[in-house]
Amino acid sequence: MVSTKTPSQLVLNGLLNENPIFRLALSMCPAVGISTTVMNGLMLGIAVLFVQVFSSCTIALIKDYIHPRIRIPTYTLTIATWVTVIDLVLSAYAPVAYKAMGIFIKLIVAFAIITMRLEVFACKNSVNKSFWDGIGMGLGFMFGMVALGFVRELLGMGTLLGYDVLGFRPLLFFALPLAGFFCVGFMMAAFNYIEIVFNRMKKKTG
Amino acid sequence: MKEILRITIGLTVSCLIAALIMGTVLTFTERAKEENERRDVQNTMLALLGYSGSRPAPADLELMPVYRYIVDKKGVKYLGYMIPVKKDGKTGCTLLLIDLSGKMKSRHDLELTPDEATEASARDAAMTSVLKPPTVFTYADSFIIAMLGGKRQAYLIPGEFPGFKTFIKVMLALDPTFTIKGLDIMEQEEDPGLGGEIIQEYFKNQFIDKPYKKVKNLKVVKKPLPVEYRRYLEKSKWKKGMFSPEQIAEIRHKYEDADIYALTGATISSRSVTTGIRNMVKKFAYRTQILDHVIARQKIPAAF
Repeated sequence: MVSTKTPSQLVLNGLLNENPIFRLALSMCPAVGISTTVMNGLMLGIAVLFVQVFSSCTIALIKDYIHPRIRIPTYTLTIATWVTVIDLVLSAYAPVAYKAMGIFIKLIVAFAIITMRLEVFACKNSVNKSFWDGIGMGLGFMFGMVALGFVRELLGMGTLLGYDVLGFRPLLFFALPLAGFFCVGFMMAAFNYIEIVFNRMKKKTG
Repeated sequence: MKEILRITIGLTVSCLIAALIMGTVLTFTERAKEENERRDVQNTMLALLGYSGSRPAPADLELMPVYRYIVDKKGVKYLGYMIPVKKDGKTGCTLLLIDLSGKMKSRHDLELTPDEATEASARDAAMTSVLKPPTVFTYADSFIIAMLGGKRQAYLIPGEFPGFKTFIKVMLALDPTFTIKGLDIMEQEEDPGLGGEIIQEYFKNQFIDKPYKKVKNLKVVKKPLPVEYRRYLEKSKWKKGMFSPEQIAEIRHKYEDADIYALTGATISSRSVTTGIRNMVKKFAYRTQILDHVIARQKIPAAF
């Protein structure tokens, strides 16, 4: 199944139609566990974006040489290699960024979303298309994490990006892991609702 | 059979390629990484002593590391302290062996300058040359004595203790009477928003200015943090004229004997940090008193 979408469609697809968190419901563990603040969400999003793009391109490049029986181990190996490389390079040449992102990068090896994108998209499409798909998925994941972090940080700690905006802590519950599930559920519902309304309007006008 | 062979070879080759890539990157980045870590520790130490970009460290500030070893001499255990000493106007290193009752066993001068002593392999080589086998030694820890104008200004002690999730790495600054003067949490992976709050000023600054007498039995209390104390603790948010020097002295004195106020929703993390720091300070004070006693009695020309 070779994709016929243009780059802009691929990016939009990752952000909305196939948003990793709200649509594909993949990588829920990190989404629930890390999305306690906007900054955490953003950092993990950036890290995933890079690993997704690099891994997608690598797999698209070598897809003809991978034995179909061992494709999953190869994907994991590719992701692990990129994660290690990014980890090492950041720690050596960008210590400030590494301090903020270090623990998130190491987490990525086990992310379902990246393996799934390699399996579904990158191993069937060209390098160019896989690149744009990787960008779309990475941005979609980042968008989801930041949205979750926004709600949970504001309601759980009364701050945004570390700045005190409310002056008090409304509900500590939102900072706890359990609240992550609630937030994901409610935001998924909101996401679906907006889509239904959007489609209805489209039908009316078109 | 042919299929199995192809799969095996395929997997082996991919693993080898991945290993090759990772190994190459590692060799290229290792030096830069070590350099970063060293600079990071150095900056943390200076920051704990109160020096930063706007207030650079004075030229006569000296940081003298002391390395502690456990020495096993034919089944008898000794503590080995590698300390910097003054000798003919130069600074060298000497190894003191102290038995468990606090008496000095022997003293060995080492062919080592303090600069060389920062490398673990150089220290090991120098120690092996004076402590002939079958004596074995293992590295325990190290601390740093900050000297300003020939006087002891502070002790810097790196340490590690278990937190709620993983180990928490800290660096403590104590003044010569073992009052806590600074605390920095260097590494932690507690839950963000809960135990992760241990890095916030309103928690970690509670330890500052606690005298040794209080630290010895420091506890955690589950009470809300008083508002004025919180405003006082958040030093980076201070505005000009918010506290007068008298007010600062008053608040400091008022909370000097207070226990540590627990973080909401993270009592376990608060407790582990408090217990960890209490133990670090207690052990350090005990060891340093013994070491100082030995140095004074044996008239060792220590550089600190």
